[in-house]
Amino acid sequence: MILLDNIVKRFEGARQVTALDGVTLEIQKGELVSIVGPSGSGKSTLLNIVGGLDRPTSGTVAIDGQRLAGIGDDQLTLIRRDKIGFIFQFFNLLPTLTALENVSLPLHLRGWSKSKAQARARELLGLVGLAHRIEHLPEELSGGERQRVAIARALSVYPPVLLGDEPTGNLDTSTGREILALVSDLHARLGSTVVIVTHDPGVAASCPRTVRMQDGRIVEDVRR
Amino acid sequence: MMLFRLISWPYLRKHAVRSLLTVGGIVIGVSVFFAMHAANQSVFGAFQETVRRIAGATDLQVSAGEPGFPEEVLERVQELTDVAVAAPVIEAMAGTGRAGQGNLLILGVDLTGDRGVRDYSMASGDQAVIDDPLVFLAQPDSIMVTAEYARRTHLGPNDRIQLETAEGSREFVVRGVLQSAGFTRAFGGNLAVMDIYAVQQVFGRGRRFDRIDVALARNVPLARGQAAIRAAVGPGFQVQPPASRGQSFQSILRIYYFILNFSSAFALVVGMFIIYSSFSIAVTQRRKEIGILRALGATRRQIALLFLGESALAGLIGSIAGVFVGFAAAGVMAGAIGSILHGVYGFSQGDVAIVPGTPLVALTIAIGVLTSMAAAGVPARSAARIDPVLAMQKGPSAMLSAGESRGRMILAVVLAGFGVIALGATRSLGWFYAGYLCVMLAPVLLTPVLAQRLSRILRPVLRWLRPVEGALAADSLIGSSRRTAATVGALMLSVALVIGLAGTARSSYKNIMDWANSALNPEFFVTTSPTLTDHNYRFADAMTPRLEAVDGIDQVIRMRTPRIDFHGEVVLLMTGELEKLAARSPFKSISGNPAEMYRLAASGQGVLASENFATLRRLAVGSVIDLPSPSGAVRVPVVGIVRDYADQQGAVFLDRSLYRQRWHDDSIDHFRVFLKPGADPEKVRATILQTFSADRRLFVLSNAEVRQYVAGLTNQWFAITWVQISIAILVAILGIINSLTVTIADRRRELGILRAVGGRRGQVRGTLWMEAVGLAMVGLILGLAVGAVHLYYVLELTFRDFPGMRFDYVYPYGVALLLIPIICAAALISAIGPAEAACRGSLVEALEYE
Repeated sequence: MILLDNIVKRFEGARQVTALDGVTLEIQKGELVSIVGPSGSGKSTLLNIVGGLDRPTSGTVAIDGQRLAGIGDDQLTLIRRDKIGFIFQFFNLLPTLTALENVSLPLHLRGWSKSKAQARARELLGLVGLAHRIEHLPEELSGGERQRVAIARALSVYPPVLLGDEPTGNLDTSTGREILALVSDLHARLGSTVVIVTHDPGVAASCPRTVRMQDGRIVEDVRR
Repeated sequence: MMLFRLISWPYLRKHAVRSLLTVGGIVIGVSVFFAMHAANQSVFGAFQETVRRIAGATDLQVSAGEPGFPEEVLERVQELTDVAVAAPVIEAMAGTGRAGQGNLLILGVDLTGDRGVRDYSMASGDQAVIDDPLVFLAQPDSIMVTAEYARRTHLGPNDRIQLETAEGSREFVVRGVLQSAGFTRAFGGNLAVMDIYAVQQVFGRGRRFDRIDVALARNVPLARGQAAIRAAVGPGFQVQPPASRGQSFQSILRIYYFILNFSSAFALVVGMFIIYSSFSIAVTQRRKEIGILRALGATRRQIALLFLGESALAGLIGSIAGVFVGFAAAGVMAGAIGSILHGVYGFSQGDVAIVPGTPLVALTIAIGVLTSMAAAGVPARSAARIDPVLAMQKGPSAMLSAGESRGRMILAVVLAGFGVIALGATRSLGWFYAGYLCVMLAPVLLTPVLAQRLSRILRPVLRWLRPVEGALAADSLIGSSRRTAATVGALMLSVALVIGLAGTARSSYKNIMDWANSALNPEFFVTTSPTLTDHNYRFADAMTPRLEAVDGIDQVIRMRTPRIDFHGEVVLLMTGELEKLAARSPFKSISGNPAEMYRLAASGQGVLASENFATLRRLAVGSVIDLPSPSGAVRVPVVGIVRDYADQQGAVFLDRSLYRQRWHDDSIDHFRVFLKPGADPEKVRATILQTFSADRRLFVLSNAEVRQYVAGLTNQWFAITWVQISIAILVAILGIINSLTVTIADRRRELGILRAVGGRRGQVRGTLWMEAVGLAMVGLILGLAVGAVHLYYVLELTFRDFPGMRFDYVYPYGVALLLIPIICAAALISAIGPAEAACRGSLVEALEYE
């Protein structure tokens, strides 16, 4: 499902920084994988490259059999739009939109009609247990509820790949646990491939596979 | 549409004030454009309407410019078989002394033939004055007024009316009131008809006519009639349908159109910069939102269209509002055009109703929307290119990358280099304007880099003023070159445009006054009107010896300064006694031997051309020109080119002897009077008035009065500078409010930390105030410097393009100094709101920000 081959990512600046240094990784369809490592180890950069938000300096990325190298920005956007869902640490909800509008936003970007998009958004908000909060603005929701909205948004087109960048990092322990349970449940029910970047050993331990990174390299790949 | 509702609308609503400011930018640009063009269209329309109504059934009009032509020309036209009616006409404006009623347009006609082209139905009075013209002729004090004028002034048949004539104020008797129809409705009804021979007498016109209105015989095609008349009268005459008189009107107003277009363009550029600034800041502020949208699958095109859609909406709302504001301002502008026409050319126009056509409204709205979209184009492109990863990272990203800075530097150097080469390498106007654009674009590109460097230079000063607040303010400016560039750029361009305009006003004022001091140096000007431009009344040559005999007068120079048609443009013919002028008031010679040029011109062997006359028509000493006269084309060489600012279309100086001989006109519109040494000016003035005022309309203007009049006219052209300075200040306020609002959003956490570690609200407030002043100073310094270059180009274009006048470079230090406190004060005022918002915000929320 996800194939990374000898990925190198360097950031140019006053001093050159190598964030990824020859990473090779294959994730099968339907896997739930956690990526762990200290700050600066390259895990978020890896996730951005998998999600098509960033491009590697060298190496090959393929998602669902489609190679990302050499394709234009618009094509990359379409892959992101149709195949990848993101869950961010800081939720990244638009503060002026209600929960329903936030979840339906990606569908409007795909040109869906208002009624169709809202019907899907309601369904997803029900799936994450927020059917009673659909007209609330993000500021009227708790941290856990905001992350549930973000998850519902990430699932809006039922993408085959779900990427989470510290999805529990901004939540207290019990809410984090709830969110993780939700992600695991959705993974089991929808069969998506899920990749989660985390600092939390508990989160990592709950995933069947854990990849450990250090200094831009994979130093451990454990399957349970 | 859905995206617009979900993304744009909440943002626009949340930032309602900024949205209104953006719309305000468009309103400014569009309203000035609309007002100027609506006023112009309406004044021109009113003129055309007046011409059309007065023309009646006239097919062709025969004229020879302002000097008119001798009576015998009429016979040559009347003899033609293609001509059914040839009616002579004199038009003159006359004051009535009736407060609030304006001047009367006196139409001098020969009723014997004029009924063939105009309808003279009477509303009241003795129809016999029409039916038997001899009744009218036998009573030279007869006048007919229109029903409209009679109603307003409560005049009726046999009432008396005072008119200003060349013989002083005279009484006339209303013999009839004309029905309100046809030509009598021209000029708002402020029209009266007199016998043409009486008009010749009372307006000092001699035995001359202004024009002949011709109705062609049945079935004679216009072109055939035109050719026949041209052949009969010769090449010194214009034979045109009445509607073509609009060309002369347009030609006269060319300088006004030039300033009008320049001002419209200025207003639109300023409007564009306000929009550019607002959208650039919006893109910076909405960076994270854009990043999220991109991460969720929004394409670059969707992001760009989102911003372009917002700008189109702002453009549409601003344009519609601008049309309304412009409509209100158009009336004032029409008055200003009328004032210029009257002051400079002695034209009088009745009250003008502003009736903007649908095409102008549509064009204005289209320009508003397109301008807005064009201005938002660059920010929209930047938004579309935002990197989603960087956009969603914490903290501001307002610095330019090293690569982008280098790219901008290289492009700026290339553009500036091209501009300099284009300036020197060719005389082509196209290249000149392309170079001008490039030279002005170069500093715009460099704004982020220059703003950052200047902020670095300002840092010690701000720190010296307030160690903590100054350093924080300076660091914010240094670290946010991308954010501040839009505000600094808008302010820089606005200040530069003001400097350009104020400098042009200052340079032209200085040059024109220097010219006035040397060329208009007689002690007195004896004129027929309070100005030197109203030529309705003229003096007879017979008056000269009586004037020369006045005790205390050393020398009198007779001047006649009509405007004539020269290849479709109206130019000034300065005729006078050139030998005397050379001795008394020599012009600055630009080309040609001064002594020789005056000798040749005084003997009628050539003419002198003003510098702009020569520049506009690419003439040099030795070029031969054909001046149209009633006795045929006067073919003369240009024997010298002199600096003269008397007319925007240019002036030709020829000796009075040549003028009399070829134009058959010995009238005078003003005398230049030089006094004997030791003569008492007031006594001489009193003697002149005493000698002539009993039987003559006459004004004695002192040298100071004439120079004051010239200064007033010069200032009138440039009064608009102050409007533009106001716009510049408005731009400063809008830009700084925008920039500070984003600063606070970006620095909320930093300002929260400042307060958390013990910073007082006053210190936070001081930081933002200093940042505002720093921003203003950076924009000002760059603007004053770019303005110096801009002024050079504006002065070059007034020489190379229109009006072809060369003005020496004078930097407007006074305005520059004035701008410093004004812009700084504007910055402080605009900082009050954002600074208070920052001081009073929740500390906890600020520290939790992001």
